[in-house]
Amino acid sequence: MTPPTLRSLRRCFEGAVPATIATCAADGMPNVAKLSHVHFVDDEHVALSYQFFNKTRENILLNHLATVEVVDPVSAAHYCLQVEYLRTETAGPLFAYMKARLAAIASHSGMSKVFRLLGSDIYRVLEVVAVSGNVDADTPPRANLLSGLRACQAVLAGCADLARLLDTLLEGLERHWDICHSMLLMADPDGKRLYTVASRGYAESGVGSEVYMGEGIVGVAAGERTPIRIGYAVQEYRYSHATRERFAASVDGYALETEIPFPGLAEAGSQLAVPLLLGGRLLGVLLVESAEEQRFTFEDEDALVVLSGQLVMCIDYLSRSADLPLEPAAPASSSPPTAASQGAPVLIRHFPADHSVFVDNDYLIKGVAGAIIWKLLREHMVAGRSEFTNRELRLDTTLGLPDITDNLDARLILLQRRLAERCSFIAIEKTGRGRFRLNVSRPLQLSVAAPH
Amino acid sequence: MLQTKATSPLLGAAQAAFLGGPVAINLASHDAALVPSIARAFGCRVSADRLEVVVFLSQPRSRRILDDLAAGAPIAAVFSRPATHVTLQLKAAGARIQRLTEGDREIMLACGAAFIAEIMALGYSENFSRALMAPAGDDAVGVAFTPEAVFEQTPGPKAGMRLEPKP
Repeated sequence: MTPPTLRSLRRCFEGAVPATIATCAADGMPNVAKLSHVHFVDDEHVALSYQFFNKTRENILLNHLATVEVVDPVSAAHYCLQVEYLRTETAGPLFAYMKARLAAIASHSGMSKVFRLLGSDIYRVLEVVAVSGNVDADTPPRANLLSGLRACQAVLAGCADLARLLDTLLEGLERHWDICHSMLLMADPDGKRLYTVASRGYAESGVGSEVYMGEGIVGVAAGERTPIRIGYAVQEYRYSHATRERFAASVDGYALETEIPFPGLAEAGSQLAVPLLLGGRLLGVLLVESAEEQRFTFEDEDALVVLSGQLVMCIDYLSRSADLPLEPAAPASSSPPTAASQGAPVLIRHFPADHSVFVDNDYLIKGVAGAIIWKLLREHMVAGRSEFTNRELRLDTTLGLPDITDNLDARLILLQRRLAERCSFIAIEKTGRGRFRLNVSRPLQLSVAAPH
Repeated sequence: MLQTKATSPLLGAAQAAFLGGPVAINLASHDAALVPSIARAFGCRVSADRLEVVVFLSQPRSRRILDDLAAGAPIAAVFSRPATHVTLQLKAAGARIQRLTEGDREIMLACGAAFIAEIMALGYSENFSRALMAPAGDDAVGVAFTPEAVFEQTPGPKAGMRLEPKP
């Protein structure tokens, strides 16, 4: 019988059933211990969590050979891996991923105060042996996963603008993958935060909300450039108010968008965050969630990583086509700007310190998007303009657009959606590639607020 | 160093009872090249004087470790209760492989049934739980040893602590 490959055992590495490790001391006395999880690294390597300096660790530092027994969580088949300790990693993507998974297992098993990852011990797998007498479980592969992936990616290519692309992706996840809670965050070029541009399946869209790099599951996936998948709710990876405040306090005086709440599920049983990477550059993060525990498998992770790769290509293609010549503006589709003379003026206040904008004392937006809407409204009031181009925004140094790598389209989507949710009389309408129109249907009074 | 000959039991009464409860039992030994061998055991009994522990192994699933033990290699056995994570490890310089005696099969099946109930209460499926304990019906042998060291291995600050004899 051909020995099983490590890859064929990936179900055993989901952390559902504890594994066991046997080691030998210098005097030959064996030691046997339970392991909370064994992490699949690649076809030849696994990583084990180093949580305490115990006998297992003492032994493997002296005698690098160990035997690990893993159990299939469906069939209960056992497999013995003969492994050789290579090294310990205490930072980086693998460590971050294992830390998140360990935290999830600890939280699920009531061991949060006990389990803490000190390092990821990397082992080479020398041999994989199926314990004789194993019975294969009758588990048909999830055939709909691959066809779901195909269906999702097929529609991406036809999307002519970023807003459509992001919405199509999230719709596709629900339709073809039964993933009903999802969101997309784009990375701010300052490298310190991500902002939500699209979401699906939440009571509040949360568009415009921000998270710090390193904060919660999205921030860790972004910071370490690694997918992170956890199957149980974990306090420290949530975006609860208390956690956010604690995190914000640990980051040097950097104003985060906290007025707009992060849209995630309050009681997520499973989460999977996938970084969107274009070469080495982080464009954003796709986060999917479910109230169900252990909802996402390694197969979901593989498929979402592939789909994210496709998404990144589409985003890159669209941002390149933004540099093509402008399309002629489409005719106005909604009420003409002359309607602006109706009714009493609405006070729009701008705070230059953080570019926050308030509509009739209600918070709208801040940061780059705040600077953009303020510029548009000023031009509208002073020069009577309604038609604008992306290019003029890109060239306007007063907006504080971080640099040319900034995805201006994503900022405009966020602004457009925030306006649609919060302000019924100001709207941004895309009128062609590189063009958009500002529709204002009430008289406005603009006011620059004095510094605090 | 381990004691070479135990005359009074290292195991206390509560510990002995724990070993026979709904626990996962895993054994380790090694071959001549110090490559560790490993196997799951299906049930355990402790002698009335608590000097001897016998664990039961499925023969077809445990060939390597049985070869190692037959060659005189030392043994380590870990007992861990899934619901509480309470874990003990026993060690001995050697073990004796013996046929099942009267009542051993019943112990194996009873331990298996208790373990199935334990893990199903934790949310494992019935199919999985039964499949995990199915080898309790395999051709089996007993592995008998006299614990020469007992270690606390419940995850936490005391994990790894060697325990002294208890009444």
